[in-house]
Amino acid sequence: MSNQIKVTNEETLLQKLAQVRAAQREYAEFGQERVDKIFFAAAMAANKARIPLAKAAVAETGMGVVEDKVIKNHYASEYIYNRYKDEKTCGEIERDAAFGITKIAEPFGVIAAVIPTTNPTSTAIFKCLLALKTRNGLLISPHPRAKCCTAEAARIVLEAAVKAGAPDDIIGWIDAPSVQLSTLVMKEADLILATGGPGMVKSAYGSGKPAIGVGAGNTPAIIDSGADIRTAVSSILLSKTFDNGMICASEQSAIVLRDVYDEFKKEMLYRGAYILNAANAEKLRKIILINGALNAAVVGQPAAKIAALAGIDVPPDAKILIGEVENVEPAEEFAHEKLSPVLALYKAADFDDALKKASRLIADGGLGHTSVLYADEVKAGDKIKRWYAAMRTCRCLLNSPASQGALGDVYNFKLTPSLTLGCGAAGGNSVSENVGAKHLINIKTVVERRENMLWFRAPEKVYFKKGCLGVALTELKDVLHKKRAFIVTDSFLFNGGFTKPVTDVLEKIGIAHTTFFNVAPDPTLACAKEGAKAMTDFGPDVVIAVGGGSPLDAAKIMRLLYEKPDTVFEDVAMRFADIRKRISPLPKLGEKAYFIAVPTTAGTGSEVTPFAVITDESTGVKYPLADYELLPDMAIVDADLMMNIPKGLTAASGVDALTHALEALASVMASDFTNGLANEAVKLLFEYLPAAYQKGAADPLAREKTAHAACMAGMAFGNAFLGVCHSMAHKLGAYHHLPHGVANALMIGEVIRFNSAEAPAKMGMFPQYKYPEAKSRYAALASLLNLGGKTDSDKVDRLIGAIDALKKTLNLPATIAGAGVDENKFLATLDKMTEDAFDDQCTGANPRYPLFAEIKQMYLNAYYGAKNGGNK
Amino acid sequence: MKLDELLAKRADKNVYRSGDLCVKLFDAGYSKSDVLNEALNQARVEETGLNIPRIESVTKIDGKWAIVSDYIGGKTLARLMDENPAAEDEYLERFVSLQIKMHAKKCPLLTKLRDKMNRKISASGLDPTVRYELHHILDGMPKHDKLCHGDFNPGNIIVGADGDYIIDWSHATQGNAGADAARTYLLFVLDGKTALADKYLKLFCKKSDTAMQYVQKWLPIVAASQLNKQKPSERDFLLKWATVVDFE
Repeated sequence: MSNQIKVTNEETLLQKLAQVRAAQREYAEFGQERVDKIFFAAAMAANKARIPLAKAAVAETGMGVVEDKVIKNHYASEYIYNRYKDEKTCGEIERDAAFGITKIAEPFGVIAAVIPTTNPTSTAIFKCLLALKTRNGLLISPHPRAKCCTAEAARIVLEAAVKAGAPDDIIGWIDAPSVQLSTLVMKEADLILATGGPGMVKSAYGSGKPAIGVGAGNTPAIIDSGADIRTAVSSILLSKTFDNGMICASEQSAIVLRDVYDEFKKEMLYRGAYILNAANAEKLRKIILINGALNAAVVGQPAAKIAALAGIDVPPDAKILIGEVENVEPAEEFAHEKLSPVLALYKAADFDDALKKASRLIADGGLGHTSVLYADEVKAGDKIKRWYAAMRTCRCLLNSPASQGALGDVYNFKLTPSLTLGCGAAGGNSVSENVGAKHLINIKTVVERRENMLWFRAPEKVYFKKGCLGVALTELKDVLHKKRAFIVTDSFLFNGGFTKPVTDVLEKIGIAHTTFFNVAPDPTLACAKEGAKAMTDFGPDVVIAVGGGSPLDAAKIMRLLYEKPDTVFEDVAMRFADIRKRISPLPKLGEKAYFIAVPTTAGTGSEVTPFAVITDESTGVKYPLADYELLPDMAIVDADLMMNIPKGLTAASGVDALTHALEALASVMASDFTNGLANEAVKLLFEYLPAAYQKGAADPLAREKTAHAACMAGMAFGNAFLGVCHSMAHKLGAYHHLPHGVANALMIGEVIRFNSAEAPAKMGMFPQYKYPEAKSRYAALASLLNLGGKTDSDKVDRLIGAIDALKKTLNLPATIAGAGVDENKFLATLDKMTEDAFDDQCTGANPRYPLFAEIKQMYLNAYYGAKNGGNK
Repeated sequence: MKLDELLAKRADKNVYRSGDLCVKLFDAGYSKSDVLNEALNQARVEETGLNIPRIESVTKIDGKWAIVSDYIGGKTLARLMDENPAAEDEYLERFVSLQIKMHAKKCPLLTKLRDKMNRKISASGLDPTVRYELHHILDGMPKHDKLCHGDFNPGNIIVGADGDYIIDWSHATQGNAGADAARTYLLFVLDGKTALADKYLKLFCKKSDTAMQYVQKWLPIVAASQLNKQKPSERDFLLKWATVVDFE
């Protein structure tokens, strides 16, 4: 050792601390292999010294049994070594490259170890070995009554460790212990590992340093009627005589069910216990406690010696002294922790009475520690459950001796071996398990940025091309073997004969069908319930939705209610921050009915999206549902159904599809997969939407191309989601009765300008979205559309210009004012619209996280037509 | 100042009556700081509004320090209890009520009971192991700031014409009332009145809604502090009380 300082006062303690700290700094750099070598050597040395150390402990403290202390020392070296020999405790202990998580074990630093007088050498060995294994320094504060043997144990471990390569002074101890010095060492250390009485543990927690402090027990053992009495008695004797009862987990009382009480007593006598008569029990009471506190003179003494102190004559080989008592209150001396081979014996009227007595005893000084039950493991299952539910102890031992059973790895190989037993919340401790190496390690987590998984989900079948409907539907018979079809549409389409091409095919292939055509625009919950009821009555195995957004959305909800009638819309409509982590996902759908969506407009894309909006007509609340369970199984995009769409609807739905694609492109969740679809959709819409609008049925190709574009845009935003344009359009439409597509058309220019900010107040948050780049995405789109322009800003301006021109071609209004919204009414609703738009589900995917004021400004700009207003 | 009547004679001081005043005259050689501190403590307690004799002056008489306070006429509660054994319960009730009333007062500038006890344990002459346990027990006790008398016994209560007065504040501290009650209990026991002590403890705990173990936990500590008085007759008894272990 570099410098043998005797620690006897504050000055020498601080010097020693500095030495240990320096040694620890060096030791912290050691790798696992070197540490394990040191751990091995230290454990071997401690094990070799188990007998001399046991003798020294008994000689110095005058307490306990040499032979049992040998076991404890053996345990503290061998079991602890065995448990941790292969454990990784240095540096990288865990790595998951795919998830990008690495865990690094680092030492705490210098640990203050308070060692009790009851286990002065074994606890010292235990803490020294744990500290060495975890690369911590250790400064021991022994109990004054056991200072020499504790120091000797530490010295033996230290010498072996140093010989095996550990830094000098990695372990230190106080030579002249006092409360003042133990307080100081606790204050100076990086972690406190305190084993001892409540006062010491409290001062450990009060020191202001992280502390693992564990304390007293008052273990009751219940002996149930069906217990194996011989096992119970001999286990209790084994435990209670162990080191003269000085293990804190040791049984303090036996609570025996009435019907086996006499048998228990008889077996106790047979195995060498001494049962006190009433007069002797009274004599013993007087010496166990002094004014309610444990008499130091009885701690760890043999039964005969304690009896002699009380003036009771017992055989010299009496194993334990048993007092038959009734009172479980603290006023009864036998009810306390006695740290000696003295046991209280209670008779319980029934199992509930036994639980009550045990709970009361635990409440007096044993909270959080240990309890025991002897019962028939097979037959008493219910009692066992009631027992461990009632015991406020961190260890509930079944059919095991408490002292050895609680230490772990002896009577159960899965319980962590330890000489420091956590007592959890009930015991006022920070640890509830048996204290081990992991408690002395700091885990540093290295977290790499990961984008995790994205997805692309679409209906399993998307059929398209003008005239494809009939071919697609024959699959119902040939491939899907369906028998009953339920058609959902609105009365306009029904009366217009739009469902006839469907029903003709169904009749031809022999599929029974019925049609529900009572869907109104902005479908209500009542309508969905009505449809679901009709579905239930009809019992379809396929649902075919024919129409624009409303019938498609309504049909999605009807099928949901048909399959899961107990759905609570409030729950499943809860806004999510990440669709994968939502609190209330939809149940699995499709068990009853296959779902086919047939759009009759080129806009919503609902045939390929997981979205549906439903309004509760009784409250007016709109529930926007988003869940891939709502995704249709098959989409049939047949332009033949769209030839005669009115001009206004062609314009509004076409521009809706355009904003779907534009928002999906800018979304923080945009992916290579969605970008391809969205780019193509925008291209097709710019090219064919004007012709579809102007020529209608006269230009079937334009009809077909816009239908495909709307569906592709649907697939893009069904996976990349939308943005603040839709958030604002939803509210603008709702408050001022504008068609959805028109509302989007009014906002999209402002939103592109807003999203193009290169230094936005706040950017959108998603791992895949690394920095504000909406501007370059828009610019790339402008290039794709051959709009020209040199700089990104120029290109974005041209994109907005092209959109404005398209809107003009479609005869869509340029401003909200131009759309006929009254100025006063607009301004009166502005704040409310702003807040609602902010809270819309679509906002989350926007590349720029909008502030209230920013949304408000966009609304104002869109109303008055102000360009470049207020945005960076 | 004319000292009319010797009221009490102690090892290192005598207490006299002087007309309306009471003079505590300390022996020569008594620590000046202790005298001034005692007067200061008492003056502080006066400010709590409790019925106690008021300090009138601190002076020197024939070269000896003296604390002059109001003279409170009347018998001590101890004397009344001796004279009317039948009324013991009634007097005890009165005694405990007064103590609890005192504990309700705060006196933030007084010495802290905990500091004083730590000092006394250190100076008790007990062996280091026992001191270590006692320091730990003390460390674990809740930290309160109640006015504690430190020598609350019926001999220090004067039943005056206008109410009960608590006298002799030389041991006053602020801290845990359990310690003050434990001290009272110990004083009864040392006085040979074990039955009365038990009755007192029960009554105190009941009236103050305190668990008896909580007061008992202070007994080894107050026993250790009493060892400082170094009375040979008490030594074995106090040692027995002080030699306990904090549970492990």
